[in-house]
Amino acid sequence: MADDVAAASGVLPGLRLAEAWGLLPALAIQERAAAREQAALARLACWAGTFTSEVCVLPPQTLLLEVSGSLRLFGGTALLFERIVRACAEQGFAPRAALAPTPLAAQWLALAGDAKPCLVSAQLPHRLARLPLTVLGLSAQQQLRLASFGVRSLADVLRLPRAGLTRRLGSGLATDLARALGELPDPRPRFVFPERFVERLELPVRVENAMAIGFAGRCLIDALCGWLAVRGAGVSECFFEFDHERGVRQRPATVLALGFAAATRSAGRIRRVFGERLQGLALPAAVERITLRAEAPAALPSRTGSLFGQQGESAGGDSLAALVEGLQARLGSGRVHALSVLAEHRPENASRAIPPRLPAGEKFPARRPAAVQRDALPGPRPLWLLARPQILREVAGRPQCGGPLRLLAGPERIESGWWDEAERGALGDVRRDYFVAVSPRAEWLWVFRSQIGWFLHGVFA
Amino acid sequence: MLSQILERADVWRGDDLARAPLPGVSTGFAELDRELPGGGWPRACLTELLPVRHGMGELSLLLPALARLSSDELAWLVCVAPPHPLYAPALQAAGVDLSRLLVASAPGRDAAWACERALATEGVGAVVAWLPDAQASLLRRLQLAAEASRMLLFVFRPPDCAGQPSPAPLRLLLETAGEQFVVRLLKRRGGAQPVPLPLAVHRPLPLSHALACPASAELVARSPCQPLIA
Repeated sequence: MADDVAAASGVLPGLRLAEAWGLLPALAIQERAAAREQAALARLACWAGTFTSEVCVLPPQTLLLEVSGSLRLFGGTALLFERIVRACAEQGFAPRAALAPTPLAAQWLALAGDAKPCLVSAQLPHRLARLPLTVLGLSAQQQLRLASFGVRSLADVLRLPRAGLTRRLGSGLATDLARALGELPDPRPRFVFPERFVERLELPVRVENAMAIGFAGRCLIDALCGWLAVRGAGVSECFFEFDHERGVRQRPATVLALGFAAATRSAGRIRRVFGERLQGLALPAAVERITLRAEAPAALPSRTGSLFGQQGESAGGDSLAALVEGLQARLGSGRVHALSVLAEHRPENASRAIPPRLPAGEKFPARRPAAVQRDALPGPRPLWLLARPQILREVAGRPQCGGPLRLLAGPERIESGWWDEAERGALGDVRRDYFVAVSPRAEWLWVFRSQIGWFLHGVFA
Repeated sequence: MLSQILERADVWRGDDLARAPLPGVSTGFAELDRELPGGGWPRACLTELLPVRHGMGELSLLLPALARLSSDELAWLVCVAPPHPLYAPALQAAGVDLSRLLVASAPGRDAAWACERALATEGVGAVVAWLPDAQASLLRRLQLAAEASRMLLFVFRPPDCAGQPSPAPLRLLLETAGEQFVVRLLKRRGGAQPVPLPLAVHRPLPLSHALACPASAELVARSPCQPLIA
């Protein structure tokens, strides 16, 4: 095969290599890699799961999608067809697509490059008649026989009586014609979507820069989302592996784990997290192959579109889960948290940073009454608790913080905690008298006195 | 003709409060609600708060509105870069639903980025951020992001920013007069209100019962007595 530029210089299929180089010295030769074509077709079949679950793979180059069940969801034939072709081009392919009521007719139209959708069976004879004979994929002998009857195009074939055609050329061609016209059923084997998603993509060139991997990664993500859509599942984590250049000192593959706050199969969300993580990734060596694996998909039922616009998973605006993931990806997961209250008398332990819990599929969240009322607290508690108590100077028995503090309430004795003394990082035994204090600058502070001295522990912000 | 023009939402009379396009969220302080366009904290707007120091009740000023948003509107609250860890029991006691609170400790420029992301998220009701070194251009971006949403955005900045121009439509200087918490409206839609507004923000206890320090009662007795306001 030759691309447009090469064809313009006279390079044609069937030419010998030396002649081709004679015509175009800058010609780049790529050997056809059947295995990679196979892999690409399988990946594309997974990707097609976004549009339909009825996919049929016809090696070496054909993919059949049964879309009659998806028309309503995607807003009609024209829109769906356009969307599939565009999305396929975004995957880096140059598709030749056609839409027809029977699979064989669609195949033939696509081979002839006729992209005008054919929607009604009654139009089929008329549309097929315009195609050249080459789309039938006949053997040389059959072509000679047809030529000997004076048949030049598919229209001539269709005009011949079927019985005579069977007698003279065997039943194959007549059956194909009947199937293409929808007179005979044409069942196709369905593509079996794999149990686990592991897809590899060989990069055409060695890539050193993490951002340049983005495109290849997005192709794999789209394939993953198609696969998840067919399985009715979502992932809460998936792994990218970057295989480095083979050589004397081959480095182990770099693994990038993407985590999500809730199971998802939204390509936009996965892409966004991937993009954010990629920015902070430093590659030790050039990458030549990317693998995306998703080990444990969790069931994620599709939602019915709501009457007034889309909501939740497929929403146009960002959902909260996407916010949490975005923040975690950029700031680090430890820096984004929710808070919870623990029944503990030691102040440090009563407030705990926990990973954010998102309501899963919560449409009308239950209204929860605030569990603790203001007076249920054992004493006044500040809005800010310092990460570590800060020691205060003491002058003539009074704690100082920008001047002598005036103690307003207290002491509130908080003591003991011997049980976690041995644990690492635990607070252990304490004996403190807490006071509410006001500084001369009218700051409201929470201070305590222990055996060592006075400490500032909280701020009534 | 003239009355028609005066009816328009983007025309206001100099002696009048501007009409807000969206009703505000009540601050929980009637005297402050009266002074704010929209009758409360404005939605889809950047509110700049300039406390003269920490620990004077600057966060308590927001808590009634935040509690209402979180418990009545079931909206999420996002706190960005608080200077000290927030203390869960006190927040819960003030009526904030902790199951809808998200805290992001983001340093520097990431804080503004986190605000922008939060403002673009559905289900978030208010964003409270501490941006001590935000530039005017950054605040401008945040104001635009807030306008595109329907959320409350509060940004705490140091008090020395009071003299600098700011794109925030509402600016409040929080200070104390004696020991009373006072709000000064530096800027609002509909003309500034220079008179300081004393507010009774929630304090752990009334100031009137000062306590003698148990270790040194005589020292407290000798300390200069300040006028107390309950």
